[in-house]
Amino acid sequence: MDTKTNKARFSFFSFLPNLLIVGTFLVFMIWLITQMLHDGLYPIAAAVSAVAVFVVLVYLRPRFTPMRWLGVGIAMVLLFTLYPIIYTVVISTTNMGAGHLRTKQQALDVIESLTYLPEGGETFEWAAYLDVQGDYALWLIPGNEAPGMLAKPDEPIDALSPGDGVVGELDDDGYPTSIEGYQRLERKDVIPILDTLGEITFGEAPDTVRIRSLSSAASLQALYKYDEEMDTVINQQTGDVYQPVDGTFTSESGEELIPGYITSIGLHHFELFLGNPGYRDPLGRIFLWSLTFAVLSVALSWAVGLIVTIMFDDLPGKRYIRALLIIPWPIPVLISVLIWRSLLQPDVGVIPPILRSIIGSSPAWFQDPFWTRFALVLVNVWLSYPYFYVITAGALRSIPEEIYAAAVVDGADAWKKFRYITFPLLLRILTPLLIASFTFNFNNFNLIYIFNQGNPPMPGTIVPMGYTDILISFVFKLAFVNSNVANYGLAAAITIILFLFVSVMVIVQVRSTKIFAEE
Amino acid sequence: MTTSPGQTTEQTIPGSGLLQTRRQRRLISRGIRYFIALILIIFAVAPVLWVIGASLNPAKSLVGGTIWPKNASLINFDQLFNHPQYDFEGWLLNSFKVSGISTILTVLITISAGYALSRFRFKGKEHFQTAILIINVFPAILAMVALRSMFQQIGLFIEQIGLDSHGALILIYTSGAMGINVLMVKAFIDTIPLDIDESARVEGASHFQTFRYIIFPMIIPMTITVGVLTFMVSYADFIIARVIIQSMDKLTVMVGLNLFTTIRFDVDFGMLTAGAIIAAIPIILIYIPLQKYVIGGLTAGAVRA
Repeated sequence: MDTKTNKARFSFFSFLPNLLIVGTFLVFMIWLITQMLHDGLYPIAAAVSAVAVFVVLVYLRPRFTPMRWLGVGIAMVLLFTLYPIIYTVVISTTNMGAGHLRTKQQALDVIESLTYLPEGGETFEWAAYLDVQGDYALWLIPGNEAPGMLAKPDEPIDALSPGDGVVGELDDDGYPTSIEGYQRLERKDVIPILDTLGEITFGEAPDTVRIRSLSSAASLQALYKYDEEMDTVINQQTGDVYQPVDGTFTSESGEELIPGYITSIGLHHFELFLGNPGYRDPLGRIFLWSLTFAVLSVALSWAVGLIVTIMFDDLPGKRYIRALLIIPWPIPVLISVLIWRSLLQPDVGVIPPILRSIIGSSPAWFQDPFWTRFALVLVNVWLSYPYFYVITAGALRSIPEEIYAAAVVDGADAWKKFRYITFPLLLRILTPLLIASFTFNFNNFNLIYIFNQGNPPMPGTIVPMGYTDILISFVFKLAFVNSNVANYGLAAAITIILFLFVSVMVIVQVRSTKIFAEE
Repeated sequence: MTTSPGQTTEQTIPGSGLLQTRRQRRLISRGIRYFIALILIIFAVAPVLWVIGASLNPAKSLVGGTIWPKNASLINFDQLFNHPQYDFEGWLLNSFKVSGISTILTVLITISAGYALSRFRFKGKEHFQTAILIINVFPAILAMVALRSMFQQIGLFIEQIGLDSHGALILIYTSGAMGINVLMVKAFIDTIPLDIDESARVEGASHFQTFRYIIFPMIIPMTITVGVLTFMVSYADFIIARVIIQSMDKLTVMVGLNLFTTIRFDVDFGMLTAGAIIAAIPIILIYIPLQKYVIGGLTAGAVRA
């Protein structure tokens, strides 16, 4: 029905603004994609292309009315939610990490920009000039009677003729008596600054010049050349050949060229933590703790939530009790965790002195693995029981009163009513939300990381791991804490495991929701 | 007949005894439950009271014994806003800017998508909705390695949405907020009878006009709920901002607050707690009047399940 009305209303002029916007978008996208392809960023270029094609199809053809209302949203989800998930899979099969952050093309660009001063090559006689800012320039005279040239750092070398306003008349040796903005340096002034001058590269790559001695300057040459056919890099000075080995060009003697580049290493990372005990054992411990933490957090928070829902129902003043008990809820998590961390500080905190005065000692909340874990669960209960109270109270309202009538006739007391009627019903109603909370806590990065960065550290592990690290906080450490040892590939591989785990939980959750919906 | 008085005495004595113990038991049970309530209230409220006390304590120490400090003053708040090294005001403004723009974008995109899903028929709509739900279950933190690398690559060409930019944060927050909110808006529009927009269409209104003048005024409460939730989530985010933002002057307030406890060896609790209060106030102010919407949405979800 929509198509008809749209066709009837379609006219070129009403369509023109649309065409202009989409056209501009398209031109921009083509520019972006070309740039990305040139740098060898193929995965993101592909994703951007797909989204660009989708957007153009949706907004340029008058027929796709429903999609037009959805298009921007879909484009964003594709690019910033779906693509990162797929890209994580790609990264997990690569060596991406410290020293391997560039594409092969980008790495070669860096390697090929390195230069050396060859023995032979074109030489010049030179004189130095200085401007008011303290920057140097050279006047170069080639050996072959060609005209002199002006060379400044990072600017193309210019052949200038004397007397054109910029360069004054030449003296007997062929050097300009004046250059606009510059002052000529005499030989006696040059000698003390020879070292400084020798470090300056004049001209713009690849045509660059450096001084070699008081009397001569020479063109620099690229130190490395890439042989596309052989896929090797050759050192032009020594003739050494560098072969690509796992994303690094390496010579026969084992010398490596920096930077390395990103390359596929297959399932190496997955083998690492399934086969290498140095990774597998601590990772297993982290996985177990992630599970324990999630189960304990959900069970205890729900228990407190249940107490708040059920126990104060007939107490005078219950409104005030509940209003006070819901206070932790709206406070942003980061702030709550920082508060608890401060409260538990051994010397300056509030809780340890109180404990010391009551029971004589206070546990090492941040150093002892058991007590750090204990504190984490305690803090998590504080953070989340109000949520469980709210959902439990909501679920309780949906349980009809009549169900209890038979139990009252049978003489069941309050505990029996709760144990055999209320609790099983609540459990059934809330299962999907409990599973969701479990999944959330399994990946509860904020709490773990802000409270103690996953510490105390486990001794003797290959990569830094802590006793309270959960998988996701370990991924973060692996990738972002120390950029010198960052291993994005391994971090992404562990993320894949997390994805699989979350997917299973989602399936379970959807199933449980459906089962209850049918009843 | 002779047994009847005996019977009555036999009945009344245990009966009155039962009544007594029942009353006693109720009193005891109430006492116990008030005690539990008291402990829970201390557990819930004491940290908050302590934060307020510490923020007013000019000595900046925690071990004062009393929650309300002697010589209470606002000196910590004064220092917070006039700090030579940290630009707390700037961080707050960054947070407002990023969360505000994310909220506006999310609301615009979700209400138009929710309208389309509710009112248009097209092939694969069911699958489409399931796909939205599944993709959105994966939190952005899980993809942080890919996100960081991706925005670094984008930043090579468009600096405004590259690594270390607010644009990148806005894009991540907005696309992350999409899924569940779109479905919420859709469900809400589903409750509006179709006849209403049919009659508008018959009178010649375009889809856009129908949406703008008929549907939109009716879904304003839902729009507010989506907006509030999006604002709260993006304002409270720590980890994504921590991964994406690097420059001090671009930090959001949550990442900045965490700096107070990590950069310096001796934590200045006065400034930390003052900052925590200032940063929490906007969220609490937004949350209180809209509490009933949020709780309503959550409990509806629980009961529907």
